[in-house]
Amino acid sequence: MEEDILTTLKILIIGESGVGKSSLLLRFTDDTFDPELAATIGVDFKVKTIAVDGNRAKLAIWDTAGQERFRTLTPSYYRGAQGVILVYDVTRRDTFAKLDNWLNELETYCTRNDIVKMLVGNKIDKENREVDRNEGLKFARKHSMLFIEASAKTRDGVQCAFEELVEKIIQTPGLWESESDGKGVRLSSEDGARGGACGGYCSML
Amino acid sequence: MAADSDPESEVFEITDFTTASEWERFISKVEEVLNDWKLIGESSKKPPEKGEYTAGLWEEKSDEILFADFKFCIKHHYFVQDACEKEDVEDSGEDSLPVAMQDLLSTNNDFPPIAHCLVRWYGLREFVVISPAANDAVISESKCNLLLSSISIALGNTGCQVPVFVQIHQKWRKLYVGECQGPGVRTDFEMVHLRKVPNQYMHLSGLLDIFKSKIGSPLTSMPSVNIAIRFTYILQDWQQYFWPQQPPDIDALVGGEVGGLEFGKLPFGACEDPISELHLATTWPCLTEGIIVDNDVYSDLDPLQAPQWSVRVRKADNPQCMLGDFLSEFFRLSRRKESTDELLGKSAFEENGKEGADISQALSKLTEPAPVPIHKLSVSSMVHSARKKIRKHRGADESPLSNDVLNAILFFLFPDSRLLDGSEGKPSSSAAISSASENEDYPLYSQLKSAPSDSLTYKLALCLCMVNFYHGGVRGVAHLWQEFVLEMRYRWENNCLIHGLAGGPPDLKCCLLHQKLQMLNCCIERKKARDDGKKRSAMDSAGNADKTKSDVGKSWDSWSDSEDEFFECHSDTEELKESGQEPNKKSAAKDDAKEPPVLKPEGRFQQSGSLTLLGSEEPLYIPVTQEPAPMTEDLLEEQSEVLAKLGTSAEGAHLRARMQSACLLSDMESFKAANPGCSLEDFVRWYSPRDYVEEEVTDEKGNVVIKGELSQRMKIPNNMWVEAWETAKPTPARRQRRLFDDTKEAEKVLHYLAVQKPADLTRHLLPCVVHAALLKVKEEETEESIPSVKQTIKQIISHSSKVLRFPNPDDKKLEDIITQILNVEATIARARSLKAKFGTERCEKPNEKEDLEKFVSCLLEEPEVPIIGAGRGHAGTIIHKMFLNAQRLTESSDEASVMVPADEELRRPSSSDDRRQMSGSDFPAPAGREIILRLTVPRPAPYSKALPQRMYSVLTKDDFRLAGAFSSDTSFF
Repeated sequence: MEEDILTTLKILIIGESGVGKSSLLLRFTDDTFDPELAATIGVDFKVKTIAVDGNRAKLAIWDTAGQERFRTLTPSYYRGAQGVILVYDVTRRDTFAKLDNWLNELETYCTRNDIVKMLVGNKIDKENREVDRNEGLKFARKHSMLFIEASAKTRDGVQCAFEELVEKIIQTPGLWESESDGKGVRLSSEDGARGGACGGYCSML
Repeated sequence: MAADSDPESEVFEITDFTTASEWERFISKVEEVLNDWKLIGESSKKPPEKGEYTAGLWEEKSDEILFADFKFCIKHHYFVQDACEKEDVEDSGEDSLPVAMQDLLSTNNDFPPIAHCLVRWYGLREFVVISPAANDAVISESKCNLLLSSISIALGNTGCQVPVFVQIHQKWRKLYVGECQGPGVRTDFEMVHLRKVPNQYMHLSGLLDIFKSKIGSPLTSMPSVNIAIRFTYILQDWQQYFWPQQPPDIDALVGGEVGGLEFGKLPFGACEDPISELHLATTWPCLTEGIIVDNDVYSDLDPLQAPQWSVRVRKADNPQCMLGDFLSEFFRLSRRKESTDELLGKSAFEENGKEGADISQALSKLTEPAPVPIHKLSVSSMVHSARKKIRKHRGADESPLSNDVLNAILFFLFPDSRLLDGSEGKPSSSAAISSASENEDYPLYSQLKSAPSDSLTYKLALCLCMVNFYHGGVRGVAHLWQEFVLEMRYRWENNCLIHGLAGGPPDLKCCLLHQKLQMLNCCIERKKARDDGKKRSAMDSAGNADKTKSDVGKSWDSWSDSEDEFFECHSDTEELKESGQEPNKKSAAKDDAKEPPVLKPEGRFQQSGSLTLLGSEEPLYIPVTQEPAPMTEDLLEEQSEVLAKLGTSAEGAHLRARMQSACLLSDMESFKAANPGCSLEDFVRWYSPRDYVEEEVTDEKGNVVIKGELSQRMKIPNNMWVEAWETAKPTPARRQRRLFDDTKEAEKVLHYLAVQKPADLTRHLLPCVVHAALLKVKEEETEESIPSVKQTIKQIISHSSKVLRFPNPDDKKLEDIITQILNVEATIARARSLKAKFGTERCEKPNEKEDLEKFVSCLLEEPEVPIIGAGRGHAGTIIHKMFLNAQRLTESSDEASVMVPADEELRRPSSSDDRRQMSGSDFPAPAGREIILRLTVPRPAPYSKALPQRMYSVLTKDDFRLAGAFSSDTSFF
């Protein structure tokens, strides 16, 4: 089992407090929903192996607390992440309005610039929606992110969100290969171009 | 046809291959390969365009075949052509000649600048070569003939029209024989290779004679031969003053004169001329026999009059470039295994018991809880006395770095130490500088994971690099590092911030060493704040506030401006002591649940908007809280590993939350202290406002009231928030246990620094050095503006950012990066050399200058550059002058040393010398002469088809080669 795992990916879930980050994760890893899930303290961590395009990838998913005060603590965990899921609550506009702050945070603390970002609008099962799907779509386009709406409660879109993200990471060259040394494609050497070293070729007389 | 109509003979015929000889098997193997490569049958392609062989793409395929146990390598070389419109070519009829034969006559690609020798000699666009695979050689004549016969049979059997060659004799002689077959025609490729040029073939007329005699045409009146000639002249002897760059005066640096030495600047440029030769080719592309005369007494071929001139330059193979040397020397350090102590002998502290004790006492003094009057000690005088001690002990002549050099470097690294005489430096100013210039190269340092270019780390990297190169190599590096670590300890012990590091927690985008230094700075900052706070309160109580000092101190407190709310944390022992001293408070804390209003609020930071505590009119205060612990990436790694190890079970998650709840608890305690009588609801309204749900409710009286309650998840019994709230005592942050133990962390950093070997340092700092080198080549490039270099630099940056992002990159990859930088440096040096040689700066007419600059940049990027206007053009005149100068130089030196016996040898083609004088040209004898003769005549009989004949000859000082391709009609022979 362990052998055919292509790579281990580090994925981060961020967003304002109470938007359902831990619930999304719980839905994805254990396929359950717990309406009484305690507020996360600091960071939490879960592992799941999934298959995408015939590649098995082990996901180490770091769930973070959304409270302002914890924000001084959690960015240290951004280091080395290949993917990030940015969650907002479609029934609370303020959680959508804060997305810019989260992106700034990501920009500041993330150690790589090619990290794959996914925007998830959670709690679409609720009736009192405040953020339209198109608004989320627009935001995601503006910041070149993946976008999906989901509900951890009804499981809509959850599995799909994680799979999309992983697929995108695997398709991004240089994002994960060098981590698992020896595997994957090597950088093609830049030379070898015409007119370089001569193999039986002479340049003069 | 015959076989098809008579199937029976096929059926009953037994073909026996059991006795096939090695030779037959070899032939069939060759045929098989030709089949595999689809070289069978005629192919019709457009004749190549002018110069296409150089501009286009060549490819090759290869395979191995055996003749008995002798291994041959068979290789197909071909020019990649776009599939052309078939109709165009096909009307040339059935009996069109094989492509190779047409190529023999094409003049479009004579003298290609870069090509396989067979292309150069025969103008072929496609051919197959069979050569011995190992370093063997086919030398005996019978073996050569056997091979040639094999080819002949294979070509005949398959109908392949691609010429096939066999390489014979030693490989370096590049001697090939071959054959090409077409319907009713064949071409034999023959070659002569000699060391000396036979006298009769020294000139065109002799070569024409041999060409005609080889053809042996039966015609009485032959058509005139088509001739292309190229003479190549080599200029090797650049006069010394043409090379502008002087190597730096290393002696002056070593001698201790450091005044002129600029630390932090990398050297650049080649120490020797990176252009070793200039080759001038003068070409007569199309002459006809009889128009010109070139024989042993007279020649019409005056290079100045040649219609085409082109130039190529030969680059010095491995020019010694200073930046490249600098980098590779530094990288070489990473293979040294010695530790700093091994390199310098035992540490000075250990040997010198008494004097060393002072320093360690200073440490213990500082770690004592009581405030220390640090400012009575002059920091810089302490630093210097410590250095003196070390030096005294080691002995001045023993230490790898001289005092002057060391002091110069230390002042460069710590510019504030000049100002340090008891008062603090001004870190605020350095912070401002760093943030300003950060923007500029922000992407680069974060891409390379180095450090900002004005940071201490970056400067340190450059200094170590320089010390390694100029001042004592690895021992010098060890010495400087030891001094550096010492300085770091002083700064920690004396509450003196380290300059040149951005404030705040370690920047994870920088290299680990930079993070460690930032971490140390965080520790110093906190310790200093604590000490200052204590000192101030001591002074306040004495009623003797020193105005200036407290002012300076204040500017350091980024988080608070008011003195009474000053944030301070005590170590464990202090806490115990203090809590013992204040029994009242402690007991008050215990029964706060009973008598909340009695408590005096403590550690308030500011009011939180207009919020009031639930059920009272008291405003809700945000407390002063403890700053979270700064982390370097290795600590972080450790911590997340610990957290991850707890697993994904519910208990694991619980334990993880508990481990991280220290911060939450501390905040709750501060909150309780600042808001006596508060409830968890109050705390949640500040800390996690979304977990306090407010609803508009209509009460019994019909009024709309806002009713709030904790969110569902906060109300879960025994959840960790409730649990923590219950255990939290009202304690202001300054009396809490420190979340971040700066003393411990600082000692950890200092220990980490102390145990780094020079090799480790190299690994840590290589990104900074690469960063600096890239900035340097960028800067130098802008002066010269070479588009290809600009491109290459971009590539190097993206390549190295991929390599350096990961810990412990491959040596091989690092070497690659260094080599790439070196190549860029060499290219820039070459551009400078050429510009100096052609005097682009001196050129006065603007359009001429522009042309010349374009010409020079072409020389760098293209294998061969034509000169517009040949000998009469501007560039042509300059080149002519160069040759004249070189001539004059050698002639004068020849006269000076008459006794040179080799003189005769040097001027061996003396006849050409004489002729040169006759023709009035002032060029030296050409280093090489190439002549291509072409003719279409019927062969072997007058009534045969007229077929292409070609002979290429090259004459150099010690090489003479004739390569002939003679075609004949095989229809009736």
